[in-house]
Amino acid sequence: MGGPDMAPPTPQALARAPGDPGRGSTADSFTPRQRVAGLRRALPLAGVALIWLFLLAFLVYPLGRIFYDAVTDEAGRLTLANFVAFARDPFYVRSLANSVLLGLGTVAATSVLGFAIAFLLVRYDFAGRGLFGYLTLIPIISPPLVGVLGFTFILGRAGTVNVLLMDWLDRIQPINFVYGVHGVLLVETLHLFPMITLNVVDALGKIDPSLEEAAASVGAREWRRLRTVTLPLTTPGYVAGALLVFIWTFSDFATPLVLGVHDLLASQAYLNIVQFVDRRLFRMGIVISALMVGLAVVFLLAARRYVAIKDYSSLSYARLARRRLTGVRQALAVGFLSLVLLASFIPYAGVALASVGRGWSLTPLPTAWTLQFFERVIVETPKYIVNSLLYSGLAVIFCIAVGVPIAWILARTTLPGRDTLDALNTLILAIPGTAIGIAYIRAFHADLPWIGRPLTGLWIILPLVLCIRRLPYTVRGSYASLLLVHRSVEEAAASVGATGARTFRDVTLPMIWRGVLVGSLFSFMTSLQEASAVLFLALGGWETIPVGIFSFYIAGSASEAAALGVVLIVVAAVSLAVINRVAGARMGGMFG
Amino acid sequence: MRFLVATLMVALVAVGAQAQAPAAIEDELVLITPVSKFVFDGALKAFGEYAKQKWNVTVKTNGIPAGTPLAYGRIVEWKGKPEADIFWGGESALFEKLADQKLLVKLELPKAVADAVPASIGTPKPVPLKDPDGYWIGTALEPYGLVYHPKVLQRLGVPALKDWDDLLNPKLKGQIAQCAPTRSSSSNATYEVMLQSKGEAAGWEWLKKLADNTGHFTARSRDVPNVVAKGEFAVGFAVPSYMAFEEKVSGFDIKFVAPKNAFVTPEPMAILAGARHPKAARAFIEFLLTEQGQRVFMESGLFPLSPKYRMQGASGSKIELAVDFTGGVRSYFDAPVANVYDEDVAKKRSEALKERFRKDIETTWKKP
Repeated sequence: MGGPDMAPPTPQALARAPGDPGRGSTADSFTPRQRVAGLRRALPLAGVALIWLFLLAFLVYPLGRIFYDAVTDEAGRLTLANFVAFARDPFYVRSLANSVLLGLGTVAATSVLGFAIAFLLVRYDFAGRGLFGYLTLIPIISPPLVGVLGFTFILGRAGTVNVLLMDWLDRIQPINFVYGVHGVLLVETLHLFPMITLNVVDALGKIDPSLEEAAASVGAREWRRLRTVTLPLTTPGYVAGALLVFIWTFSDFATPLVLGVHDLLASQAYLNIVQFVDRRLFRMGIVISALMVGLAVVFLLAARRYVAIKDYSSLSYARLARRRLTGVRQALAVGFLSLVLLASFIPYAGVALASVGRGWSLTPLPTAWTLQFFERVIVETPKYIVNSLLYSGLAVIFCIAVGVPIAWILARTTLPGRDTLDALNTLILAIPGTAIGIAYIRAFHADLPWIGRPLTGLWIILPLVLCIRRLPYTVRGSYASLLLVHRSVEEAAASVGATGARTFRDVTLPMIWRGVLVGSLFSFMTSLQEASAVLFLALGGWETIPVGIFSFYIAGSASEAAALGVVLIVVAAVSLAVINRVAGARMGGMFG
Repeated sequence: MRFLVATLMVALVAVGAQAQAPAAIEDELVLITPVSKFVFDGALKAFGEYAKQKWNVTVKTNGIPAGTPLAYGRIVEWKGKPEADIFWGGESALFEKLADQKLLVKLELPKAVADAVPASIGTPKPVPLKDPDGYWIGTALEPYGLVYHPKVLQRLGVPALKDWDDLLNPKLKGQIAQCAPTRSSSSNATYEVMLQSKGEAAGWEWLKKLADNTGHFTARSRDVPNVVAKGEFAVGFAVPSYMAFEEKVSGFDIKFVAPKNAFVTPEPMAILAGARHPKAARAFIEFLLTEQGQRVFMESGLFPLSPKYRMQGASGSKIELAVDFTGGVRSYFDAPVANVYDEDVAKKRSEALKERFRKDIETTWKKP
């Protein structure tokens, strides 16, 4: 929302349909040139139809299917009994309330951290600013489960800190740092604050400095300027980030389960769905998933409404004069950022230690060291890495094939259904992966014609689900750069006789490739980490790295899980470094 | 020249076909199983070597790890067109439910192989080790007991655990990890053992006291020995022996004990109806019941299914480590096995037990 879809497209952009040759055609009928033009008109329309078909088949239909399941009984009769049963069960109601509270708590905590960091990075200059800018993004790439496992290795009841406390102070009972809701809050906050930072950095970068200068010239002091000018201007970006933080926390089941917190909605959805035997519980899992999707849609609409009213975003990135911090202030800024980084790197330390430690228990550091876990997950079973790269690679190809045209439609056309397309694309960000995974299981277990096996029995379902889940990043990356290419540049090319295709190749493409690249790299990186939907769909032999992490963990081999986690972190950190180099501050637009 | 090549090729194909002739099994095998990777990987690897030697077939093996309820659910959802060939592990009742839905085929094992497995073990309630109708057969014996971390117990000043009631020691408050019976079949079975040995009312009283001492309900039963091995919690409840042994083999200091009446399962195995590799599946089952196959289990902390074999290895071997780990038992056929667990009672109470757990324990449980 702080990003592209809120920025009003320029009137020129809305003036024409795609591929419309416009002034090129004449009134003469059936000239060869016109036939080509007719084809040129028909092809894009066929393309648009294909894109809609893709979204209908792999997004709208599966989601519709879980809503259908949620309001029917085993015999297929319409009923609201499932929701009544949910509302009557105090445990479920408590789970719902806890999930909302935890989501809000995480938003509050990440906001404080995220805003402070974004402000320091955008407004001030100090030693190591660039490095901090990159490092404070790193927590976002923490793969599911890895973060929480890392925390328990260091802060668990038998983690390094407690062991040291017990050894030095002769304590008998450990301090409970992580098991419980407070632990979930801690883990989620240190994982998700970059979402706020990214969006606020993006928004701050777009504020015209003259606005604040104007405020200063009429005598507004720093705090007042901040409160009345700066903060309101960052609201759209912030709300977008906050919504993502909320949804992420709301739909994460891995973290709470490791920390023994079961009275949350996502945990209940997961736990119930895996109880296939008990059809009643299974259906309850579907009902909870439907409820989660419903709530996500409500929050999304609420946020959009709020942001839509207050849309101040402009597309130009203002050139900022950063204020140089010196002396104590610099020390404070560097100290604060280092402290946040230290805390958010706890899981990496824990995971790295666990991946090379053997039989690590009740000692501050492992006592026996080994590379056997890396050997096992890289050399003996390369399938995790191979599958991950293959599926994520395919998913990105799909993302580009579907996403760049979508971005084009959004940025350059007035096709009917454009708003719906935009809404669907944003909706994807809000839908919990758990719900998508469950929806696919329900929607695609019927045999396909000709093939004779259901889609859930074919591995192609994994790149497909990854593509749907990560499509918005490609769309947003491409859209943002399309908006930056002024329509007049393309028109200039057309006026000197360039065809639509030629204009695209010679003028538009060179200007937008950066955005497409950043968007698709983001799709790639986040596909690599996707676990929640894939976990429900992966069959034997299709395991990706996150599925491997999860199955090693639930099979009791935390060390192998840690080794795979390290592999994934390294791959993601490299992707992020590339993105950071190519995109700089503009990354924020990807998330909103 | 061309003729020569063609003849040669025909000859080669013929020779190839001849060499393949005894290859009575398919070159692929897929399991769906709650049994841990640690055990099924070993079994699949040993079978691969055996198949290579016997039929010169390289079998591509794969295991889909899934908790018992999930595995069962997937098999039902597959509706006779399964993505796996074999279902392995969990309670025998589930196998009977699957056979009733015609989702299993009869094993049709050679008589000598099937007869080598005794019909049942344990008193007063015998535990069946194979299906009289021939739809499933046991693979190895496995007790569900307690695990503990000796160093943590020592720090808490609690003596080594021997019996169920040792879990109610007030010094263990917040130190016990268990998995909810709604999610874990091993937990469910052990809850049943407590209810059936103490009687329903006293049984629930005991289980509530256990919950008061419980510091962590895990998401899966496999997490229980994991958190104990790491030292996060001192004691784990209702843990299958091999899961705990896996931690021991990975270098953790952990102990296992199977108190009186501890649940014992034969880890049943069955071939799914519509399986794509039925011959490989049958060969796999036959292999597991040979001495070679049983040794794979013994090295994983499971006990042989037949009195013919005993846990006996060179000193320092994995088998001896397992014997030491499980308190010196070499065969479940050496001494009478006490068992009160009644499958029929458990089956009937399954829903009620879960409902009562949710109401009386899950909803009211507070993290100590």
